[in-house]
Amino acid sequence: MARPDRRDPSQIRALHCVLGQLNRVDGSAQFSAGDTSVLCGVYGPVDVKLYDEKLDRAHIEVKFRPDIGVPTTKDKWVEDAVRSTFEREILGQLHPRTLVQINVQVCQGDGSVDAAAINATTLALIDAGIPLRAMVAAATCVVRSDHSIIVDPTQEEADSALSTHTFAFSNLQTNSPAYVDSRGEFSIDEYNACYDMCMAAVDRTLAFMRTVVEGKILKETQTAL
Amino acid sequence: MASTEQLTFAIETFKRIHPVEFQRRFLSQDTRHDGRAFLQFRATHVVKGTIGTAQGSATVRIGNTTVVCGIKAEVSEPDVNTPDQGYLATNVDLSPICSANYRPGAPGDEAQVDSEHIFRLFGEVVDLKQLCIENDQAVWSLSADIVCLKSDGNVLDAAIIALMAAVEDLKLPQASLDPATGVVSADKAIETQLTLRKRLFPATFSLVDDAYLVADADDAEERLATATLLVVLDDQGRLANVWKRGAGTIDRPTIARCIAEAKNHQNAVSSALE
Repeated sequence: MARPDRRDPSQIRALHCVLGQLNRVDGSAQFSAGDTSVLCGVYGPVDVKLYDEKLDRAHIEVKFRPDIGVPTTKDKWVEDAVRSTFEREILGQLHPRTLVQINVQVCQGDGSVDAAAINATTLALIDAGIPLRAMVAAATCVVRSDHSIIVDPTQEEADSALSTHTFAFSNLQTNSPAYVDSRGEFSIDEYNACYDMCMAAVDRTLAFMRTVVEGKILKETQTAL
Repeated sequence: MASTEQLTFAIETFKRIHPVEFQRRFLSQDTRHDGRAFLQFRATHVVKGTIGTAQGSATVRIGNTTVVCGIKAEVSEPDVNTPDQGYLATNVDLSPICSANYRPGAPGDEAQVDSEHIFRLFGEVVDLKQLCIENDQAVWSLSADIVCLKSDGNVLDAAIIALMAAVEDLKLPQASLDPATGVVSADKAIETQLTLRKRLFPATFSLVDDAYLVADADDAEERLATATLLVVLDDQGRLANVWKRGAGTIDRPTIARCIAEAKNHQNAVSSALE
């Protein structure tokens, strides 16, 4: 079954990223995969509310806003996904009793928004200079009605899918996913096939992130000279 | 020279002051503080029809965790885009009555995330077309309230089983729309039950102290968990959900082992739901 945009099953959409667009936050990244575009702005380490203060580490807060409408429980769910992924990766112990606030705004949604949010967050955290243990990238796979598996689905492809699988991996550990969300009706074999496909897509996304960060460092050192 | 005094803590005091150390004493010896094996689940008890005034209800007990689910049915107009579909709204209520972890007031983050997750799971279970009374004019709108009465860990599993049981218990009176008056009348004498697409069987695993993977963690273990894995199976041998959250490492072979353990546990939940 051919894909509407003629991509291969394992082909992700063209990735694009701009760092440091916002000048009020500590770091920002606008991450786009095809028509899906997510903007993430990060503050940190900043003052924390007494209620949230943790004695031995930074408190991590995520705010996720959809492209259309007011935030609902659906967006709370994505906040939980992003927060639980980055709780491991942010070296919060270096900044106890502070807050790292991650703000994600969907600019354009065309499928795989959860994965784009995680990717944008990694790049925004790097842009903000918040210490990270590793870089995390995410990818989404869906199993279509003919049981074929495609990666990085558009909204149209995701709507008609039998099951959706989002995996996030760090660049240090591919045997242990940072985040897994597989939903729908699927077999263990389909789950494993999606795991492998997402891992390959995450590899490519991590390589892209590396070039983006290298570009940023190059630009900064050139300006300094 | 002062003699060293030996401090002897009572077990309860030790548990309160050094919760991590208390748990480690057991976990490092391959057992848990309540005597269970690492991958042993607590017994699940389900009673259906516990709320007389609700159209469907169930009470679920997993160990000391107690969750009640009540489903109320109301008639409403369908969405313009889906004129032949009714509604199922799920709401998980985690309030101070069940645990000191929760604050009074608006639903907190955990309750909202659980509500959303259960809503997505049950989209596969309930066929909303069965809730249609009259196409484009009247449909049943089901409000499922899942209230946690006692929280001793693993509220999510109990909530999923409670909603599963309540939906199986649900009896809707036969309703018809009078075209002349536009009034929907329901005949309580004739009741219909929903035909569900599938049944769901959840199993939660937690990574305690970043090292020990346990099934069905209770409150003391949950507080020290750095990652949780939820596996939901259906009654047709397929997976409905694999959801891993949290900072800890649960690697690929471990996830596969958890899926196998969830399959073993499925029979226990299935017989509880009968």
